Amino acid sequence: MPRLLATQSHVVHGYVGNKAATFPLQCLGWDVDCCNSVQFSNHTGYGMDKVFGNITEHNHLDQLLSGIFKNFPNEYNALLSGYLPNKDSVKCMGINYKKFKKQNPNSIWLMDPVMGDEDELYVNEDVIPEYRNLILSDSSDVDIITPNQFELEILYGKKIIDQNELKLALNHLHKRIPVIIVTSCDPRIFHDEDYVYCVASMRGHAHPLVYRVPLIDSYFTGVGDLFAAILLDRIYSLLNKEDEEISAVSDELVFEKQINDVLNVLQRVLHLTKKLAPKNVKSKIGSALDMKEMELRIIEARDLYGTDINPNEDFLYSRL
Amino acid sequence: MTGPSKKLLSIQSHVIHGYVGNKAATFPLQYNGWDVDALNTVQFSNHPGYDSFNGYKYGSQELYDIVSRGLLNGLKIRYDVLLTGYLPCVASLNNLNEIANQMKQMNPDLKWIMDPVLGDNGRLYVPEENIPAYTEILRRNQLYLVTPNHFEMETLTGCKINSLSSLKVSFHRFHELYPKAERIVVTSIDLSVGENEVGDQNPFYLVACCDTTTTRGTGSDEIEIYFYQVPKIHAQFSGSGDLFTALLLNALLNMSSIITLSAATSQVIWTVNQILERTYKLSLAEEEQEHNDKRINNNINKKKIIKDLKLIQCKDLFNKFPNREIETLAAKLLD
Repeated sequence: MPRLLATQSHVVHGYVGNKAATFPLQCLGWDVDCCNSVQFSNHTGYGMDKVFGNITEHNHLDQLLSGIFKNFPNEYNALLSGYLPNKDSVKCMGINYKKFKKQNPNSIWLMDPVMGDEDELYVNEDVIPEYRNLILSDSSDVDIITPNQFELEILYGKKIIDQNELKLALNHLHKRIPVIIVTSCDPRIFHDEDYVYCVASMRGHAHPLVYRVPLIDSYFTGVGDLFAAILLDRIYSLLNKEDEEISAVSDELVFEKQINDVLNVLQRVLHLTKKLAPKNVKSKIGSALDMKEMELRIIEARDLYGTDINPNEDFLYSRL
Repeated sequence: MTGPSKKLLSIQSHVIHGYVGNKAATFPLQYNGWDVDALNTVQFSNHPGYDSFNGYKYGSQELYDIVSRGLLNGLKIRYDVLLTGYLPCVASLNNLNEIANQMKQMNPDLKWIMDPVLGDNGRLYVPEENIPAYTEILRRNQLYLVTPNHFEMETLTGCKINSLSSLKVSFHRFHELYPKAERIVVTSIDLSVGENEVGDQNPFYLVACCDTTTTRGTGSDEIEIYFYQVPKIHAQFSGSGDLFTALLLNALLNMSSIITLSAATSQVIWTVNQILERTYKLSLAEEEQEHNDKRINNNINKKKIIKDLKLIQCKDLFNKFPNREIETLAAKLLD
């Protein structure tokens, strides 16, 4: 059984952060060790006046992570890092994760550099250099990153307005990071705003892959966290291959299929979530009672996380 | 699965690694369709059964605010079930009275299931002052189900349990002291404790249960107590009690048909035993692999300490029950 350590947020009610990632991964056979970077009553989309609870102080976070790696120095096949509330907690996670990676070079580290979305930062600005350092420095140990377009631009240092620039940004980050999945690209880059675009790129492959999925008109939360979790499950075996016989060609095909599979899981969960919401509810930020209805139906989707479950559509759109 | 899940608030400990407290309860309940809101009372790296552990406790005010100001007054969540386990401090325990009241205002049919976590194997592992806090909760609140272990039953009733007759006395005492507690299931009763110094001689431990709602209104003082003999596995597990309570909650409140407490208890004993046996086998196999070439001289007579349940490998057992007529496992406890 593979074992994962995930450091991200915990909400008592609802499904974001570790609450969105843990159950699906457990259903897929993972032992998920959750280190909670915050404990909040619910996610911040309900309105800041509705959020109670506290962040995990960075000295506490350090005690937890160093304690975990002391007691279980070789037990993790994969590490996941998601939302961390401030600069100190990002730094603390980085130091501890890097130490583990040094001793366990075969483990896989997936980092979701959670900083903001749609041109809006939702962490303090001083978090940015910490992520840039963990991802871009010579000694980077991160294997997979899953930024959205805004986060990609922060890491790259420039706005990305066309496909050419996007390709340059990916090449730049590939100097350090083997796998980059841009979870939602600005649709204007692809001249059609009725879809969501996801770009997946693996170092050494000929072209980054562009996937196009239909836009479901609603405000969902936790989608990126669920995406990262399922992604880790699907490409863990691809990166961790002790079997050297897989040729580069089949490798590209497997990657293409696995990313498509991840997007299918997301589509199935979003459709189910929308189907189970009462009619006329279209959540928008700050409307607490509507938000409650649009929490991802992580539990009801129990049987939708596996591979080869219908519907399974082909979302591959083009290659960059 | 389709349709919305039942809503449950579970207030217990959280460990990053392993399966005790909320980590033992959440996955099996979610797998059975429960929408589990997990409020963590502590965050530890692992349970204290390891040589070392790190972490911290959440303050009582913080926990209270999350539930009262956040979930109940802010989000107006109407819970079907409240499940409470390990709470580290007496102030948090005292707040449970108020929290349960508020939850009942939103749902008069709220079912509170309480594991009165005080200690185990004759040893208290919470502050002494937690005991009167629990007795106060038990006196004041209507509790759907209470699941003390042997030691906790003794502590809450003041009755020493070392025979079937003293077990029966403790049930009567419990019922007298806490008439609002509707159902009681006492776990890991070991009658060999105290009988001889070696201990562990009895190949079985007992589980006993009593549903006081079935005799209520009949004018009779008599309560029906059922007990079960469960074969001991030669090992010590952590989190099995938390798992037991969670699965019993599910058996009682999530079945399509109404089930008696004695039948539910019997089912869950079977399920937990299957999970423990698989955990035991997998742990042994892992150990053998680790010591493959080392030829460690294992002392077979030494009781094994299994640190973590293999919950992920047991999910097929979470909603599986024996086919045979399970009621027959139970024996009625008579004088």
